Amino acid sequence: MTSAAPEALMRRVQEGDSAAYAQLLNDITPILRRVIRRQRAFLNVEDVEDLVQEVLLSVHAVRATFDPDRPFMPWLFAIMRNRLVDGVRRYARQGACEIAIDETEVTFRAAAANTMQEDFGDARELYRAIEDLPPAQRDAIEMMKLKEMSLKEASEASGMTPGALKVATHRAMNSLKKMFKTR
Amino acid sequence: MTNRTDTLIKTLSQDLKAVQPLQNPWIRTLRWLGVLIPYCAIAVLLLHFVGKLPSPFLNSQFLLEQVFAILTGITAAMAAFASTIPGRRRSYLLWPLIPMLGWLATLGQACFRSASGGISFQHNLLCLPFIIILGTPPAIVLLMMLRRGAPLTPSWTAALGALAAAGFGNFCVRLVHAEDVSVMLIVWHIGGIFVLAAVSSAFGGSLLNWRAIKKLSA
Repeated sequence: MTSAAPEALMRRVQEGDSAAYAQLLNDITPILRRVIRRQRAFLNVEDVEDLVQEVLLSVHAVRATFDPDRPFMPWLFAIMRNRLVDGVRRYARQGACEIAIDETEVTFRAAAANTMQEDFGDARELYRAIEDLPPAQRDAIEMMKLKEMSLKEASEASGMTPGALKVATHRAMNSLKKMFKTR
Repeated sequence: MTNRTDTLIKTLSQDLKAVQPLQNPWIRTLRWLGVLIPYCAIAVLLLHFVGKLPSPFLNSQFLLEQVFAILTGITAAMAAFASTIPGRRRSYLLWPLIPMLGWLATLGQACFRSASGGISFQHNLLCLPFIIILGTPPAIVLLMMLRRGAPLTPSWTAALGALAAAGFGNFCVRLVHAEDVSVMLIVWHIGGIFVLAAVSSAFGGSLLNWRAIKKLSA
């Protein structure tokens, strides 16, 4: 912690102070990253970062449970411990469902599926077509298809509901198909 | 990855809404009771006067049993609220233990005394509608209040919540349901409360989870 005490920042956060919140989250993120990396040494960098984000989202969800008269760090670490346990369960579940397979040269018997080079077309033209989309559709396609964000992440980043995002992505794909058919 | 975390921080801090910090567990318990006492008082009075139900036997055993039942409900509610606050010590799990033991001891003593006249496990199912009328609202209100906290130990929170609702509900049901057979009370009412707590504990994760809390806070 470099500047104000986290308890004081958290009090301002509960009053709706965005700057205090950004400062608090920026202050606690490296601490969380360090502790999670130490406690879950078997996780790769991406999984650690996923857990850090999960803890930040949880802190956001239950920020009303913080009592300004009590210390902040035990509150934060209790949330982090809880999310770590859930994260390990999820990690174990995913591991149990995944089967390691050797890299294969051929995916399907059909000759068309086994061409060594695929024709992606002109990428610049695609970007231009995306630029022409309405703003909501453009944002949806950028987050869901170009940045490959999950529905949850895209929803949190854009403020759109998952349902609205799905609809916007679907419409954007249809619009792009139509645009390329007519060109 | 780090960029995504930075984006997330930016997103979360933009349009931040002010929140009312949750009050102490005992104040929240008082608020829970404040909502329910008027409802249950009206329901009990209506059942007495409109339903023409007999009044309970106001002896010392009944009064002691009622005191322990309501204390079990209150301490279990406080414990349930405390279990949703991150960073609190787990000693809150013991709060309902003493009144609950007192409750069981009161019933056990009366059961022992009445056993000389033969033990009957027969139960009058007429109390079921009273249990639904007087037991469901405490459970629903408590669940709504608990969902504002952090689902750190959903099974424990749900079990404590069920115990609280059942303790309070049982207190009210006994005011309109004049049964004095303590073996029956232990088996059906107390047994029912433990079953309810166990079932609630099993479904705790579905009732109280981070996904639901995040949706509420969005």
